[in-house]
Amino acid sequence: MLFWVIAAILTLSASLAVLLPLASGSKGAPSAGDHDLEVYRDQLAELDRDAARGLIQPAEAEEARAEIARRILRLGNADPVAKAAGPSTATRLVATVAVLAVPLISWGFYNELGSPDLPSQPLSARLAKNPADSSVDELVARAEAHLAANPSDGRGWDVLAPVYLRLQRFSDAAAAYRNAIRLDGDSAARQAGLGEAIANAAGGIVSAEAQDAFEAALKLDPASPKASFYLAMGLAQEGRVSEATAAWQKMLGTLPQGSPWRGAVEQALAESANKAVAAGEPAKGPDAGEVDAASSMSPQDRQAMIETMVASLDEKLRQNPRNAEGWMQLVRSYVVLGKADQARDALGRGIAVFGPDSEEARKFAAFAASLGLTTTE
Amino acid sequence: MTRKQKRLSVIVAGLAFLGAATGLTFYALGQKASYFYMPADLTTASVQPGQRIRLGGLVEKGTIQRGQGATVAFSVTDMHKSVKVSYTGILPDLFREEQGVITEGAFGPDGVFVADSVLAKHDENYMPKEVADGLKAKGVWQESKSE
Amino acid sequence: MVETGHFALILAFALSLVQMLVPFYGARTGNPRMMAVGGPVAVTGFALTALSFAALATAYASSDFSVASVWENSHSLQPLIYKITGTWGNHEGSMLLWVLILTFFGALVAVFGGNLPATLRANALAVQGAIGATFFLFILTTSNPFARLNPAPIEGRDLNPILQDLGLAIHPPLLYLGYVGFSICFSFSVAALIEGRIDASWARWVRPWTLVAWMFLTGGIAMGSYWAYYELGWGGFWFWDPVENASFMPWLAGTALLHSAIVMEKRSALKIWTLLLAILTFSLSLLGTFLVRSGVLTSVHAFATDPTRGVFILCILTLFIGGSLALFALRASRLTAGGLFHPISREGALVLNNLFLTTATATVLVGTLYPLALEAITGDKISVGAPFFDLTFGPLMLPLLAIVPFGPLLAWKRGDVFAAAQRLMAAFALALAAVLVTALLVDGASVFAALGVGLAVWLVCGALTDLAVKSGAGSVAPAIMLRRFAGLPRSVFGTALAHLGLGLTLLGIVGTMSFGAEKILTVRAGETVELSGHTLRFEGLYPAQGPNYSEDRGRFALLGADGSTASEITSAKRFYPVRQMTTTESGIKTIGFSQLYLSLGDEATDGSVVVRLWWKPLVTLIWGGGLVMMAGAAMSLMDRRLRVGAPSRRRKGTSAVPSASLP
Repeated sequence: MLFWVIAAILTLSASLAVLLPLASGSKGAPSAGDHDLEVYRDQLAELDRDAARGLIQPAEAEEARAEIARRILRLGNADPVAKAAGPSTATRLVATVAVLAVPLISWGFYNELGSPDLPSQPLSARLAKNPADSSVDELVARAEAHLAANPSDGRGWDVLAPVYLRLQRFSDAAAAYRNAIRLDGDSAARQAGLGEAIANAAGGIVSAEAQDAFEAALKLDPASPKASFYLAMGLAQEGRVSEATAAWQKMLGTLPQGSPWRGAVEQALAESANKAVAAGEPAKGPDAGEVDAASSMSPQDRQAMIETMVASLDEKLRQNPRNAEGWMQLVRSYVVLGKADQARDALGRGIAVFGPDSEEARKFAAFAASLGLTTTE
Repeated sequence: MTRKQKRLSVIVAGLAFLGAATGLTFYALGQKASYFYMPADLTTASVQPGQRIRLGGLVEKGTIQRGQGATVAFSVTDMHKSVKVSYTGILPDLFREEQGVITEGAFGPDGVFVADSVLAKHDENYMPKEVADGLKAKGVWQESKSE
Repeated sequence: MVETGHFALILAFALSLVQMLVPFYGARTGNPRMMAVGGPVAVTGFALTALSFAALATAYASSDFSVASVWENSHSLQPLIYKITGTWGNHEGSMLLWVLILTFFGALVAVFGGNLPATLRANALAVQGAIGATFFLFILTTSNPFARLNPAPIEGRDLNPILQDLGLAIHPPLLYLGYVGFSICFSFSVAALIEGRIDASWARWVRPWTLVAWMFLTGGIAMGSYWAYYELGWGGFWFWDPVENASFMPWLAGTALLHSAIVMEKRSALKIWTLLLAILTFSLSLLGTFLVRSGVLTSVHAFATDPTRGVFILCILTLFIGGSLALFALRASRLTAGGLFHPISREGALVLNNLFLTTATATVLVGTLYPLALEAITGDKISVGAPFFDLTFGPLMLPLLAIVPFGPLLAWKRGDVFAAAQRLMAAFALALAAVLVTALLVDGASVFAALGVGLAVWLVCGALTDLAVKSGAGSVAPAIMLRRFAGLPRSVFGTALAHLGLGLTLLGIVGTMSFGAEKILTVRAGETVELSGHTLRFEGLYPAQGPNYSEDRGRFALLGADGSTASEITSAKRFYPVRQMTTTESGIKTIGFSQLYLSLGDEATDGSVVVRLWWKPLVTLIWGGGLVMMAGAAMSLMDRRLRVGAPSRRRKGTSAVPSASLP
């Protein structure tokens, strides 16, 4: 509401700036000739000063004086008399249009461009709001502000780290877990979380660094399902599928009924049967029906089907290239199919989409390296 | 001299001056402008050793070698061909593997490009404009369509 | 507040349309009321633009990420000063600054233009309004700084780290004050062409505006050069980069305009030429805006590359440059020529100055645009750099600099070169001595370096000679001389200071380029390095944490003669995590007018660090000279001559010329 009042006042004053001069009586302005005369007078005076200082020779000064005098004489004849301004119809029309144009144009444009209902949102005000009204992003920002001021608050990092993980801010999550471990000491949950963050930051690849974290977690809590699950995933990614399957089978045996990990393990087991997609985020692989169909087919048919799937993914990415997971899946698929050149090509295209310096590109490069693929050869 | 002759001679002198300046400008453009090439262009263009050119492309991954003192060797590639470059000095902050770069210098007799300046100025896609255009022309770089 | 700013911006656009049309119509029909609309509208338009700018600056200062441009170019952890300067550290905000300054100058004309002929004032304000209207439209349609985001992101993407520097607070505003200041000269020229006559007071009005614009542009360029020098870490002060050229061309043309406007003002000669120069100077400013803002060039200045923006600015460019030149072609013949002069005279010298400066502008223009044209036509990519400009710009500048001291010593209308040369004997002798001393005493000085020093000394002494001669040195008693000196018009001091500054800048350039030393080497903690008689010890790398960056500081101790630490120099590598960018902070130690400059390279695996060291003799004079030139312009602005030209009410009506001043 306040905004509309201000806008109205501004419009009014702008319109007045147009209206007032149009409505006021015309002052008799000096004609252009008077202005010129004043300048010539001054030129003459200055000529005298210059001559006195020797900046111009006496003969030339005389000549210059004559020049100026001639210009002054010319003034009398050339000065056109300013027309008396009778308020003609055209003038009135122009004046009316001008005065009306200001509110019409401004409100018209603002109607198109403005967001009158959107209040200003200074960060400090947003952070001072009641936490219950805040979005997750705002809560995170508040926690970040708190931790920026108190970086040695281990508990704060411990709370923030899983939130980062859920928000898919994996590198932030990894940093937060590291801080929590450094300040509040080791725990299985923290180490497993760190491993998960590192693995997800690398697009689901369980790197040596992630593996270290998971192993540390297992040492602290041999029953940690997260650590066991990801370590098995790491085995699968290294191509040790049977070992991975065994580990997952073992997990299924020990996991209590109703554990959220059962579903994940079962899915992983189902997918480890299909080597072509045996890594990364299981949910992004082909759906269960297709996998089932693939496992009951002849090897040739299966190969053909996988290739069709890969080709369709490739086609999809050509049309819709900003899909980081998609690119990694494509690269991985080509590697598994033994088509290193196409994998490299896909990698190059994926990097080009996001720009070589983007976070995605680095992720791609790390991911490719983990698959034993180099970009240049 | 009459006033008219005087004025004429002033105008002639002015024109001669402008003519000389124009000639100098075009001579300098022919002599001092350095052409921009990408590694694959060098197979078709004849570039003499010692001729100043600008060479642009991506810094090839894994080719950066720091040698004696402040001398650095690396390869510039456009994904088709690559060229070895040697440079003595401090690399710009934005110089990184697989990023666009423009080097200026000349080929030595051994075929190594000796750069005396390395630029990594770029737009927000981290690509110097020339390099981005060149890569696009070669089909290596695709502009993302979804933006 | 944000939306108020947005609305104010749109309202200012509406007012600029009124300002463009109503006073112009009034001037055509001779309606004084309509002509009077220009003034209040211009002032209100400025007030609204200022309100709009303040709203944007507030959004930046308070990290309001619901504003898209704030989100893209700011971060909550930035220090407040960079949050505020970030307002114009991006395309949208810098365009808003551009129109803010444009409307500011328009308001100044409205406020101080009471003593101008009414039609000239009305037409000039209308042209100013037209420029404003097109740029407001450009901002609103292609680069709206008030575009909103809903829901608002919680954190911004940070300002480009290179721009997180005090230089951003000073360089763009100064540069824009210069660029846009020339719009006044342009508006007055087009107004004169529309009327088909040049009032005698025209030059009196245009000259101070030229001085103001030139002063700020000089400062802007000098500041930009110093900023690039210390921020980019390459130790160079001028790169002949197209973006630098874009600001240098209006400066060269503006310098020519400054000089031809003197002739026009004092002697009513060179009217048509001055008009054309005024148009060309602002056209070059617009061209600079186009080159920098369109994304044709890649540089730190190209914030965003968006083809629609480029096309829009190209249309503005075509409209104003093409339109004004066409108008010039149509109307120039109707303008009357002015006073006569002998080729050898003050006027002649100023014409020569104009010839050199405009030709130099043309070579820079060719060097800047030729690569663009060639690429558009043949697809060949070339770069035109220092070697080209050394060969073309250099030969044009050197003779110009050599004749500079003669100009102010020549008399108006008909001068005497020999008399001037006699007066300059002392300056010439000193310059010659400087050449000899440099050639004989300084190790490794080339002939060119010695001549360069001589030329610089010649300029400085020539400027001082001018002051001495005008105070009557040698012919009157010292007491009288002192009194005369104090009584000299301010503009004489202005001229002398500007020329002196030019000499200082030249001295700085010659000193740095000819006598500097440079070393690139790797050092380990504890090692010492020698450079041009200075000994530095590397103390090691120390990590440190800034508000929105982390850095590795390389500390160097400058050792005194006895081996103890005299002072410390630090150079740092900074890492800005939000943008994942590294910058180098160079370490600079000023010793007298010279500087020791060092910049840190990469750390090798064995703990040693690559360091590049420069000894830059007299380098600060390059920018110091610029400051002196600015002081000269300020001095000239204070001259009383520029304040007259208004018919005072008291004398109005006495049409007879005072007989005392007639022959």
